[in-house]
Amino acid sequence: MWATNAKIVGIVLGTLALYTLIANEIPQVQSEVPQTLTLGANVTPEQLVAAGEKVFTGIGGCPTCHGLGTRAPNLLTDEKGQGPIGARCGKREPGKSCKQYLYESLDQPGAYVVEGYQPIMPVMTKQLSPEQVWAVIAFLESQGGTVDVAASDIPATSSTSTTSPTGGGGGGGGGGGLAGGSTDPKAIIQAAGCLVCHKLDGQGQVIAPDLTHVGSRRDAASIRKKILDPASSVTKGYEKLAGIMPKSFGTMMNAAQLEALVQYLGAHK
Amino acid sequence: MTDSALLLLQAAADTTHAYGEFPVIGARAFIWITAEVHLMFAAFVLGVPMFAVVTEAIGIFGGDERYDRLSKEFTRLLLVAYSATAIWGAMLVFGLSTLYPRFWASLTAIFAPSMWLYAGLFFIESFTLYLYYYGWDRWKKGRAKLGHWTLGILLNVWGTTVMFIANAWLTYMMSPPRDITPTTDPTTIKLWHAMANATWMPINVHRVIANVVFGGAIVGAYASYRFLAARTDEERAHYDWMGYVGNFIAMSALIVLPFAGYWLGREIYQYDQSMGITMMGGFMSWLWVIQAFLIAVLFLTGNYYLWIGMGRIPGAERFRPYTKYLLIVLVLGAIVWGTPHTMIADSKELAAMGGSHHPFLGALGVMSAKNTAVNLMILTTFLSFLLYRRANTRPVVPWARTGTIIQGAMFAVAAAVVLFYGIRGYFVEAIVRIGFSVYQVLAVLSCIVFVTVIDILMARGAQSLGAIRWGKMPPRSQYALFILAVTFTWLMGLMGFARSGIRQYWHVWQVMQDTSKYAATPALGYASKMISLCVLIFLSLVAFVFWLGGLAEKSTFVATGDAEKGARHVGH
Repeated sequence: MWATNAKIVGIVLGTLALYTLIANEIPQVQSEVPQTLTLGANVTPEQLVAAGEKVFTGIGGCPTCHGLGTRAPNLLTDEKGQGPIGARCGKREPGKSCKQYLYESLDQPGAYVVEGYQPIMPVMTKQLSPEQVWAVIAFLESQGGTVDVAASDIPATSSTSTTSPTGGGGGGGGGGGLAGGSTDPKAIIQAAGCLVCHKLDGQGQVIAPDLTHVGSRRDAASIRKKILDPASSVTKGYEKLAGIMPKSFGTMMNAAQLEALVQYLGAHK
Repeated sequence: MTDSALLLLQAAADTTHAYGEFPVIGARAFIWITAEVHLMFAAFVLGVPMFAVVTEAIGIFGGDERYDRLSKEFTRLLLVAYSATAIWGAMLVFGLSTLYPRFWASLTAIFAPSMWLYAGLFFIESFTLYLYYYGWDRWKKGRAKLGHWTLGILLNVWGTTVMFIANAWLTYMMSPPRDITPTTDPTTIKLWHAMANATWMPINVHRVIANVVFGGAIVGAYASYRFLAARTDEERAHYDWMGYVGNFIAMSALIVLPFAGYWLGREIYQYDQSMGITMMGGFMSWLWVIQAFLIAVLFLTGNYYLWIGMGRIPGAERFRPYTKYLLIVLVLGAIVWGTPHTMIADSKELAAMGGSHHPFLGALGVMSAKNTAVNLMILTTFLSFLLYRRANTRPVVPWARTGTIIQGAMFAVAAAVVLFYGIRGYFVEAIVRIGFSVYQVLAVLSCIVFVTVIDILMARGAQSLGAIRWGKMPPRSQYALFILAVTFTWLMGLMGFARSGIRQYWHVWQVMQDTSKYAATPALGYASKMISLCVLIFLSLVAFVFWLGGLAEKSTFVATGDAEKGARHVGH
C-alpha cells in the first residue's frame, strides 16, 4: 500500500507542479496601484519615454484596447500600412503636429475616432495627471517617430500628483475645482471636456445625448444626480455607451461649481 | 465631555490602524489561504449533500439499496469536513477582523444582520446534518425514510441559503450598487440593496453548479483511493462504481458550468465594462489560457476514464474503434480553445509576433473559434458517455434503428449549427457575434436533452450483453480520477483568483480602496504558487479527514457477494 500511496502523492504533486510551472512560464503581468509620477524641469526625452511606457502598459491600461487592433487602432505596430503611431500621428490631421494630435486625442478622444472603430475611449486627461499624459505622448512619439515632448510642455501648475484611473478612493476634488474654481458654467463645461461627447447650443459632439434641451427632460435634481453618478440613469438610445461617462466629475468640481452647472443646464429647456 | 466619550471620538478619528500585519507570510497571504481553503471545504460540504439526497431518492423510489448505501457513505464524508469548514471560516473571520479591520468594520456595518442569520443557519445546518447521518439506520423504512430524505433536502436548503448570504458579501465587493460612492456612510446602506447587487445571482448559480462538480470530483478521488486500497473484489467493485458515479456527477455538472460562467461574465461587463476588459483582455488575459489548459485536461482525463471503463463492459468492443476519432476532436478542440488572442503584449512581444495577432493562430484565438471548439468538446464528451451507457445493451424496441438514426442526426445538426455560427461569427460585428454563442449553446443543450430522452426510451427492456464487471479496472483509471480532483480544485482556486483579482486595488470596487502594501494584484506566477499551496493544504486535510472517517468506520460497505452484480449505469 505504501507504493500506492507514494504514487498518489507523486501524481498530486506532479500535477500541481505542472500547473504552477506553466503559470510561471507565461508572461507575468502584475496590476499595479497608481503611482506618483514626478518629472523635473530638466527631464530628458528618454526619461519621458520610459515613464510613458509604464503609464501606457500600467495604469493607463492602453494596450487593453490599443494593443489588439480590434477594439481600437493598434498603436505599437503597423496599422493599415501606415506604420506605428509615432510614424503616422503627424499625418492624421492636416496642420497638426504629431504632439498636438496625440494630446488632443487624449483630451478629446471623441474628436478623432478612426473609421471602423467605436467611440469608446475615455477622456484620458481626466484620468491621468498632466505628467502622465505628456509622458505617454512621448512614448507614443517614440514608436516610429521623433520625441519632441519637453518639460516645458507640462503645465507649470500641474506639479506632482497622484492619480488613479477612477479618481481615487474617497478623495475629494482637488484644490478649488475645475477651471481654477470658476463658477462660470461655460468655463466649467470647457474644462471638464463635456463637449467631447455632448452637444450644447450647436457646439460639441453627438456621441452622447444632446444637452441643448436637457432642462426639458430632466429637472435640476436629475441633472445633479447624473453628473455625480453617471450610471444612475441612461438616456434611451444610448444604452451601448452606458458606463463611458467618467464618474469623477463630482470630485473634480466644488459645490458652487456643481450648482452653477446644474442651474445652467437646467435652464436649457 | 466624559472620558469614555473622548475615547470613542478618538477611536473614530483614528484611521491609522486600517491594516494589521501577519508574521512571515504577510496579511494578504494569510487571508488568501484561509479564504481559499475555507471555500474549498465549503464547496465540498455544499456539493456532496446535493447528490447525496439525489442518490438517496434513487434508492428510495428505485428500490435499489446500493444507492442508499452510497448516499450514506457520501454523507459520512461530510461530518468531519463540516468541522474543517467552520474552523477555516473562523480563521478567515479572525484574520479579516485583525488584519483588515477598517474594511471589515465597513462590511459588518452593512451586512451585520445577514451575518447573524448566517451563523444561525450554519448552526441549524450542522444539526440537520447530524440528524441526517445518525438517523440513517433508525429511519430506514416507510414514512420515516421519507422524513429522513426530507432532512437531506433541508440540509441542502440551509446550506444553499448560507452560501447565498456569503456570496452577497463578496459580490458586493465586486459590484456595489451604483449609488454607493466612497463618501457613502456604510451604516446608511440598506442591507437588501447591497445584497441584491449585479453579480450576486450569477455567482449564486455558478457556485451551486460548481459545488456539485467539485463534490463529485472529491468523492471520485476518495472512491479511487478506496479502490486502490481494497482487499476484496466486492470492495473493489463497490468503490469502482462509486468512483464512476462521482466522476459522472462531476462531468455532467461541468458541461453546464460554462453557461453559468458566460452569464456571470456578461453581468460583469454590463456592470462595468472596464472591469470586464481587465478580466478578459487586461492583465488577467493570460489566465484564460491557463484555464483552457486545465479544462482541456479535465475533458481529456474524464473521457479517458470513460474509455478505460469500457474495458469492463461486455459489448463495448463495438464502440472502441470510435474513441480515437473522439480523441482527435477533443485534442483539436483543446488546442483551439487554448490559443491566445486578447492579451497585453509589450512592443517587443508585438514585434516578435509580427503584429497584434499571430498571423495564423490569431484567427483561432477569437471567440468564434473558441466557442465552437468548446461546444464540440462538450458534444464529444456527451457522445463518449452515450457510447459507454449503451455499451452492454442492445435495444429491442421496434423503432431502435430509427431512434439511433434520429440520435445521430441530432448530433450532426447540433455540430452543424455550432460550426455554422462559429464560421459566420468571423463575418459579423462583435455585438452580433456574441449573440451567436447563445444559438450554439442551445443547439448543444437541445441535443443532450433530446438524445438522452430517446436513449432512455430506447433502453426499455433492452437486451443485456452481460453485466458490467465492476472492479475490473486497471489502476491507471483510478489515478485519472486523482488528476481530475486535483485539476478541479486547482481550477477553483484559479477562478477564485480571477473573480477576486479583477477588483485590483479596491477592497470594494471604486468605493473603498486598498491602501495596504499588498494593494497591487499579483501576477499569475505568484498566484499559481498560492493556489498550489492552498490545494495541497486542502487535499492533505481531506486525506486526513477521510482517514479519520475510516478509523470510525466499522464497515459501511456491505458485500453483495456478487461483485459483478455491482451497479448498473447511472440512469438505467
